[in-house]
Amino acid sequence: MKRNKLLLLAMLAGLPLSCGRPYDVRPAGPGTDRDSFIFPDYTDVTLPINIAPLNFYYTDPEGKEFTTHFLANGKTLSFKGREVVWKEKVWREWLAVAAGGDITVESAWSSGGTHQFHRWTLHLSHDRIDPYLTYRLIEPGFEVWDDLEIVERHLESFDTRVISDYRHTENKCMNCHIHSQGRGDLSMFYLRGEGGGAILNRGGELRKLTLKNDTMISPTVYGEIHPGGRFGVFSTNIIVPAMHSEGGRRMEVFDTASDLCVADFDGKRLLTFPETSREDVFETFPVFSADGEFVYYCAAPAHPLPADLYQTMYSLVRVPFDTATGTLGGPADTVWSATRRAASVCHPKTSPDGRWLLFTVAGYGTFPINHSECDLCLMDLSDGSILDMRAVNAEKSDTYHSWSSDGTWFVFASKRGDGLYGKPYFSHVAPDGTVTKPFLLPQKNPHYYDTMLRSFNVPDLGNAPVGFDAATIGKVWKEMPAESFE
Amino acid sequence: MACRGKQWLWIALAVVLLAAGASQCVFLLRHPYFRKYAAQNGISLREAREVWGKPDRDAEQILGLIVEAGEENWQKVADLATRKDLHNEVGTYYYNLANAMLGRLPDRLMDYYQPFERGLFLPVGPSSTPFKIACAGDVWFQLGYMPLAERDAMLGLLFSPEHNGSRYLRRLAEANLVTGEYEAAAKYLRMLLNGSQEDRQWARSRFPENWSPQYQLRIAEKRNLMPQFDLVHGMDQTPIILRILLSANQTNRLALDYLLCYDLLTKDIDAFVGDFDPGLTRSQLYEEAMLIFLAAKGGMSAENLAHYHISEACFQRFNRFVTIYKRDGGSGRNLTAEFGKSYWYYYYYAVKNETK
Repeated sequence: MKRNKLLLLAMLAGLPLSCGRPYDVRPAGPGTDRDSFIFPDYTDVTLPINIAPLNFYYTDPEGKEFTTHFLANGKTLSFKGREVVWKEKVWREWLAVAAGGDITVESAWSSGGTHQFHRWTLHLSHDRIDPYLTYRLIEPGFEVWDDLEIVERHLESFDTRVISDYRHTENKCMNCHIHSQGRGDLSMFYLRGEGGGAILNRGGELRKLTLKNDTMISPTVYGEIHPGGRFGVFSTNIIVPAMHSEGGRRMEVFDTASDLCVADFDGKRLLTFPETSREDVFETFPVFSADGEFVYYCAAPAHPLPADLYQTMYSLVRVPFDTATGTLGGPADTVWSATRRAASVCHPKTSPDGRWLLFTVAGYGTFPINHSECDLCLMDLSDGSILDMRAVNAEKSDTYHSWSSDGTWFVFASKRGDGLYGKPYFSHVAPDGTVTKPFLLPQKNPHYYDTMLRSFNVPDLGNAPVGFDAATIGKVWKEMPAESFE
Repeated sequence: MACRGKQWLWIALAVVLLAAGASQCVFLLRHPYFRKYAAQNGISLREAREVWGKPDRDAEQILGLIVEAGEENWQKVADLATRKDLHNEVGTYYYNLANAMLGRLPDRLMDYYQPFERGLFLPVGPSSTPFKIACAGDVWFQLGYMPLAERDAMLGLLFSPEHNGSRYLRRLAEANLVTGEYEAAAKYLRMLLNGSQEDRQWARSRFPENWSPQYQLRIAEKRNLMPQFDLVHGMDQTPIILRILLSANQTNRLALDYLLCYDLLTKDIDAFVGDFDPGLTRSQLYEEAMLIFLAAKGGMSAENLAHYHISEACFQRFNRFVTIYKRDGGSGRNLTAEFGKSYWYYYYYAVKNETK
């Protein structure tokens, strides 16, 4: 009797957990941030065969009796209910069943007395995606920050690992982590403020570097590590934050001066060059070509700012890079002309296979994350042609992209939907240049993004985990002296 | 014997529980705004005490100003502010806002502590405290300047203990409803719909299809205040922003009073004269400020006095102020009693204390 009472009490105690109020999915539909009948919108997307389960929910607030059938190679798997949440093992089995073909999905439910039905497809690609993604989680901060984290997500599961955070660095500001050509053993990021520096990871060996000397206008800002690992190319920028008076445009950031420099990590030298230190030209966002023989960057004639902000447009140019000496040559070749196109380029990224160049195009300036007109643009470096990216771009800002190490997938931060919080989307590029409708990074809880108030900043793909964690970075920050550069 | 011991144990337990309950009740009765502010920041009373400590009477008054301003109970804000002049930037900021909303900012400006322009706009930057940042957007929302109302609500959210305070979610939802960014508003409304019953009710009534005629009017009024063109400005270019608002809507009385009072609190008389149109607004404060300008520029003509609506009484008082000022070699000791609440006294004797 006593045991029965205890059991009853235990069951009653557990009741609120199992009978919690269902998640309210309103508002949904056209004109809201949930305009598709499912969220995330996975309809007709192309997936790598090693991706984590695509959990989603139905957005129709009035809907009930939801059923979802997955069909592939004569087999069917059914789900009931608003939320479709896979067991990881079952998902992997299903990807094997589909064997790189298509999975047909049938969605049905009743809503307001009518029967709703949608048939859609999940396309599977044989090209695997690099299994790691690093990103900075940040709330829109306007010069102030709190609780920053850089996270590494395992894309084949839902596992995440914090690789640098506020807890171990007394809430210091930190900038985004970038891999060199998708390599987990070659990457870097910045810890800002006292005790900080550029944290360079080469084969798991960490160094803390002060990448600034007296000839430079600022410490290094944007940049990339050379595939050889010895050099890095960086911009130095005088960055000014500002606001638009029109409500939806929000924050703007511009440079009143910017140059390029090369860091020789072995020789502890910082090199500057006349071609890329001109006062009459703003130079920024430098990256290496896949073979390391060139540096691509954005360049604009200097303007008085913010007065001429709308007239400040950056072209995409390139200069030769001497891999023996770390020297930038000149003059610069124009790859994409801002004058001709009346638009501005940011964030060029070459694919590690050397075939593609992906960059952002906005109406003006150098800070596209709040520019709703900003889109991704893909150039075929074999012939200089620009490919059709309508399948990828949305009506909100799409930028901060990176390539997988084999150049078949890219990830980018998109503000599609709410227009405020960047989320990582993945697209596939076929050898003929066909790009696919992007899919949102899957999460265990399909409502994850509904309550997420932080942006996934600079998502960057890696073929292996980086060999450090937040505790290690905490020690580096606290105990390791920063190496100075000449 | 054992039974009696058990009885005492129960009694002791009951007494402890009663005492704890009574203590909690007393705390709640003495600190109703602390509880409300904690709830608006998405944390329980216990968590709030852990994070912020136990509030004293002054803190409770400040929180009262914030809570009542959030509900736009401007008379209550003004009443609370007059209980005690706290000599505190946040306290003055809300008292100024309440007076502005009640249409009497210039008339009351010199009646209480003014920490220069920081009593009108709380500075937002790397050296600002999270508490002040969280309050800074309230004035921008009332002025109709949504970019900064949104920015400061986002920063409030950033610094709220659980990063999800409903106070900020509501402001973010509403700012985006005003600007017509329904997709952004939807994000915050959905979060509120999954919050407390009060939040759910608030959110439901903000769905555009559920707007009452009063709410439609409120949104229309706010939209009417918004700038009609885009201009990029620095984060701290307050007078420029106020001029942008005025160029969009000349009848934005709040923006006009804030601009003129900003000019005066920063002692920028030239800017004040440039911004002041006697045909648009009148106040003794503005008369006093104009007299400083006219005296300095040798413009004390009857024509000018009439143009700027300067009364004979004000003119005579100014003459008396100047006479005493000159007689005492610039000392203010004989001016305080009679002129302590005049703009002249502020202009000559108020000293900025950067550490306050």
